[in-house]
Amino acid sequence: MEKQPQRIVSDSGFEIEVVRKDEGYFHVRVSRANVIELILSAKQRCGKNILQLISVVDRIEDDIFQLTWILEDTADSSVFIVSADYPRENCSVPTFGDIWPTAVIFERELHEMYGIEFPGNPRQYEDFLLEGWKELPPMRRDFDTLEYSIRTYGERRKRIHTDPRKFIAETTGEWDTPVPMKDEDR
Amino acid sequence: MYCNKLPEIPDDRKKIWEKVDNMARANSLWVTAFGTGCGAIELRPLHTSRFDMERFGIAMRPTPRQADVLIISGYLAVKTLKRVIRVYEQIQDPKYIIALGSCTMNGGMYYDSYNTLNILDRYIPVDVYVNGCMPRPEAIIDGFSLLMKKIKEGKAEGWKNYIENLEYYRENQKKVISNWDLPDYNW
Repeated sequence: MEKQPQRIVSDSGFEIEVVRKDEGYFHVRVSRANVIELILSAKQRCGKNILQLISVVDRIEDDIFQLTWILEDTADSSVFIVSADYPRENCSVPTFGDIWPTAVIFERELHEMYGIEFPGNPRQYEDFLLEGWKELPPMRRDFDTLEYSIRTYGERRKRIHTDPRKFIAETTGEWDTPVPMKDEDR
Repeated sequence: MYCNKLPEIPDDRKKIWEKVDNMARANSLWVTAFGTGCGAIELRPLHTSRFDMERFGIAMRPTPRQADVLIISGYLAVKTLKRVIRVYEQIQDPKYIIALGSCTMNGGMYYDSYNTLNILDRYIPVDVYVNGCMPRPEAIIDGFSLLMKKIKEGKAEGWKNYIENLEYYRENQKKVISNWDLPDYNW
């Protein structure tokens, strides 16, 4: 079994952009049609047997979610990272729950926090951290947390600021403003 | 499985006995071992040998049934509030709440978070606030001595306030906890 995934990248019939290549670290970006094929071949041919994490970046400016799957080989701790872009509206991403059981939990969290659908994941609609959440998913960048916080929990109590000069001037009636020292007097 | 009866404030006893009781209560504050936020980490030095809170008669208890004091240590998430209500209502009367940190007073650095409460005393009655982010163990000891002073003077009556205004507190609690499935009172 070859350990480095360069071979997969050169053998594949589709376009792969290499983001960063290093000792034991390989980060590529592919189009979303080829994600499953690339990840499965990395598992079968390079021994990337652990799914460490699925992470999401909400790039609202480009109107996409950037999903990243981080795979690791437990024998030599080498890492293979696959990124792909998905549209923000009605985002639907293939599930890897039947290959790695941890993916079921990662995908449940992403569904709750970003509203991403994972068709085929049996537990994606269960509550993960939030209980009975009915609003827009809170980690999406178009969700206004301050507005929600004020609407639900009330406005925070403001701090009281007191300027000592103003306070002394009001109570004693006089305040000598200290003159800053000139440079030649120092 | 639950008792449906709502709590009642006991009849007024003779003031002299209440004073004696309060003296005893103030000198043996037992705390529920329930950390709700980051401030729970400041309680560990407090109950080990360096700051040693047992010299004031303050001890940690594993269950709310044996405790008098609930410490809300730092920010309180909505999910935790539900557990806090359960724990607080299971503590026997009289019971006291100490709230630590600026998060419990006005939201602190989490004032714009979607999941943490801004003003704690809308949901449960707080007897003593200790400010700071987070308060050092010395400050928490200071808060405890303030609570002892209030108990001895008979002014730490948050639990009576809770029973009298249960509807108000319930309304606020149900407003933020969307999947409310607790009974009328968690005996």
